[in-house]
Amino acid sequence: MSHETTANNRSIFSGKPLRILIGFILVVNGMFPALWILFTSLKTESELTLKPITWLPHAPTVANYLRAFTDQPLLLFLFNSFMVAILSTALTLFVSVLAAYALARLQIRGRDLILSAIIAVSTFPLVTLLVPLFEIMRALGLLNTWVALILPYTVLSLPVCTLILVSFFEGIPRDLENSAMIDGCTRIGALFKVVVPLSAPGVFTAGILAFVNAWDEFLLALSFNSNPMLRTLPVGITLYQGEFAFPWPVISAALVVGIVPVAVLIVIFQERVVSGLTSGGIKG
Amino acid sequence: MATASETTLVTTRNESGTKWWTRFLDPSEGTLAALLLLPTALLLTLIIVYPVCRLIWTSFQNLSLTSGLPASFAGLENYSLMLDDPVFWETTWNTVLITLITVPGALLVGLALALMANLPFNVKWPVRLSLLIPWALPLSFAGLIFAWFFHSEYGVVNDVLRRIGFEGVIWFNSANWAFAAICLTIIWKTSSFMALIILAGLQTIPRSLYEAADVDGAGRLRQFFEITLPLLKPAIVVALIFRTITALQTFDIPFTMTRGGPGTSTATLAMYIHQNTVDFLDLGYGSALAVVMFVLSMGVTAVYLRMIRARG
Amino acid sequence: MTFNKTMTLLLAGAAMTLSASVATAQTNLRVFVSSQHRPDVWRKAFDMYEAKNPNVKVTIETGGNTSEQQAQYLNTVMTAKDSSLDVMILDVIRPAQYAAAGWTVPFNEVIGQDVKAYMDRYLPAYAEANTVDGKVVALPAFADAMFLYYRKDLLEKHGIQPPQTWEELAAAAKKITAAENDPNLQGLSFQGKAIEGAVCTFLLPYWSMGKQLVADGKLSFDKEAAVKSLKLWKDFVDSGVAKKNIAEVATDDTRKEFQAGNVVFAVNWSYAWGQFQGAESAVKDKVGVVKLPAVQGGQPASCLGGWEWGVSAFSNNKTEAQKFVQFISSPDVSEFMAINASLLPQFPQVYSDVDVVKAVPWFASAKPVVETAKARPVTPRYNEVSEIIRTTVNGVLAGQQTPEQGAEQMEGRLRRVLR
Repeated sequence: MSHETTANNRSIFSGKPLRILIGFILVVNGMFPALWILFTSLKTESELTLKPITWLPHAPTVANYLRAFTDQPLLLFLFNSFMVAILSTALTLFVSVLAAYALARLQIRGRDLILSAIIAVSTFPLVTLLVPLFEIMRALGLLNTWVALILPYTVLSLPVCTLILVSFFEGIPRDLENSAMIDGCTRIGALFKVVVPLSAPGVFTAGILAFVNAWDEFLLALSFNSNPMLRTLPVGITLYQGEFAFPWPVISAALVVGIVPVAVLIVIFQERVVSGLTSGGIKG
Repeated sequence: MATASETTLVTTRNESGTKWWTRFLDPSEGTLAALLLLPTALLLTLIIVYPVCRLIWTSFQNLSLTSGLPASFAGLENYSLMLDDPVFWETTWNTVLITLITVPGALLVGLALALMANLPFNVKWPVRLSLLIPWALPLSFAGLIFAWFFHSEYGVVNDVLRRIGFEGVIWFNSANWAFAAICLTIIWKTSSFMALIILAGLQTIPRSLYEAADVDGAGRLRQFFEITLPLLKPAIVVALIFRTITALQTFDIPFTMTRGGPGTSTATLAMYIHQNTVDFLDLGYGSALAVVMFVLSMGVTAVYLRMIRARG
Repeated sequence: MTFNKTMTLLLAGAAMTLSASVATAQTNLRVFVSSQHRPDVWRKAFDMYEAKNPNVKVTIETGGNTSEQQAQYLNTVMTAKDSSLDVMILDVIRPAQYAAAGWTVPFNEVIGQDVKAYMDRYLPAYAEANTVDGKVVALPAFADAMFLYYRKDLLEKHGIQPPQTWEELAAAAKKITAAENDPNLQGLSFQGKAIEGAVCTFLLPYWSMGKQLVADGKLSFDKEAAVKSLKLWKDFVDSGVAKKNIAEVATDDTRKEFQAGNVVFAVNWSYAWGQFQGAESAVKDKVGVVKLPAVQGGQPASCLGGWEWGVSAFSNNKTEAQKFVQFISSPDVSEFMAINASLLPQFPQVYSDVDVVKAVPWFASAKPVVETAKARPVTPRYNEVSEIIRTTVNGVLAGQQTPEQGAEQMEGRLRRVLR
């Protein structure tokens, strides 16, 4: 519990009731929007148009959830999002493990230059490449496929994952690796049998970040995969609005369905995520 | 290609190969490094380097997929068109304004959240989760949720305003209110990332510094400005630069909340690029717009790299 | 060994003959249908074609809920030169655009000798919208236009005739809302949101003043008329005839509010009628529908809607697809769709067909409106033209710009696009 040993715990806010109040403010700030959309998703259409509006649903109903899955192929959107996110995460991890190992362990001239280049890429505005990427995907016949998203998403997360892994790999004693090699492992063998397993927390953290990045991306998914059957969740839900209507209760239900997987991931791996975010962000 | 990098690496290895096993593996180390970096290089070439070259080339071309005509060289035509395009100026200005408002906004809110979250709570997970959930929420979801928040008739914001005696605002019917709603949403969504990074910085500050300050009789406010803030500076700078670059690319939240309306008063440069590319299929003009944004963000990145180098 | 080999050969041979027979016997047509236009009923019409042509199988694909979203989807399919779609339904503003981009194939060869006579069977506006430089680029699927819906009961109660001009409408609306004294009752609802419908909103009074936006592919912008048009709508908002947040109102918002009984006059497409007369409607049997008003001293004008069938230039079954389109764009199918899906016919005689009159009596009064409706400008860069007009309308209605500023900016931007 390193938290206790640090900065501001002796501040003016150390009175217990005040602390509870502050905790309450934090939780409301973070959770209220998601909670509100949950409430909305449980209300009937007629309750939603009551004035003044109601806060808690009077007669909770799951009808909106049924409609969310039947009005639009929500399950397919979920599936597309999952596959794109998982495949791009796997590719990101594979590529960045190799690169991070080279950067952390091998003697490379211009290592700093390569690291700088990777940092520069991490700040690269993918939006600006909309036209050329659109054209490349079009030329390769990849518009309206998962691959059109997997490749750019991999590049999107590659820098931060590489940086996280470099710092983890540097923390693994070289002796362990050496003894594996003495036992007849090749270098690559040692990388995957010793270094990667020992850096599991780092690999995991990088993986979660890559997953969330891919899960959240909107612009490229909107632009490259216009076929409703290939839409990812964020795009699919945003385009729920019809020619003539904007069905809020159904959209709310779909949003809840979309929030749950990431929320579960976050709840389970919260500490990993925090450490990953900060190491990726600060170490640079 | 592989041989070129191999030779350079081989020379390095001779100078710095200090351990016996490095020397033992000498012949393969350079090749190995090249091989390991190859997938990264390939991906970056396909998704970044080649597209950048192509982007710049296309921006000098007349290429509209709806015209049925092949691409033709246009010189600076796309750029000169841009200069007297009022929507280009409006969207660029909106983008800059969003950056100028939401980056400091998210920093202040994030700092406040971090200071609050750093208190010694008995149960830590609710606080941590309430910082993580906004971070993990897709921007487009945040946009949709807040569009519903700010709904003029059934939104919770207007409900609260009415309950405390104000008149409800028709948020998306006015450029200023719509802009305010978008900025508030962006600040809410991005301040949690700021808070997480600042929180990590706070937790590295040794307690002894504050104890010493207590002995010297420094007040809490002075401690904050003389110990906390200076020590947080590196973390804050990095977070700020990341945030600035993403703010320049703002797309999802205005797209889901207002589609740029009313009129084009809340549209951003990224939205205009998207519109010209995907809706109008005017790839030449879309590319010229993208080059402008590219230059803007590369400027910020250059500052960023310089700062990192300065820190060593 | 030998046994295995023989088996493999046999199986391969069987597979080949099987696939060969499938390839010659069966044509698979993939048809894109807009999800808001009753794909279920279209399916039945397609079944009729399959019954007559057993070697053709038709699959429906839908995608996107709005005209804009569907256009985006088709944009990516077409720019990718994807052969996965053979036939696609297009909003009336798009056939010319698609032909210019080289995305559709002309029907002239399939139609044969007398192309003009063939097209003259349709309502003139649709013959025109689908013909570019003598080439028939698409065939009409159904017609549509904008109408003025009004509360028959309220007008009768206050002794008011359906208005002929927008000024009369404003006066009538004020009189009725003042007398009813119901804070929820709006005088007029129209589309002020930046959607395709807002293009029509702008053009209705503009056309009514006898002005054209594009003539011979060149911009013929009349700034004075544009200012008047924008001002007309803005005045409705400022004088309280239309509600304050009209800039947020899309087509179906108008429909919903009128259907809930909160609107006296509404500008909307033909689809609204069926909903107003539906079981859930608060205004069932209290609705009248007439042609839209004119500006003072002008001619009444409506906005031409409707959708068309185009055949993709990247289809592998172009001829088969065109024959199919000829069938679904025939008077018989038109009658079927009118009766079963309440889609307005693209043939003049179908309006007076006995069964149609019985199923949808109000179509008789719709015919003159459709006949006089004007088409939105025909240009390959329609998407940009549309975006300019609708964002300006939206901006002016939200008070973001004055009508003068709006017209000024609109002209400048249109000039750049139609240079």
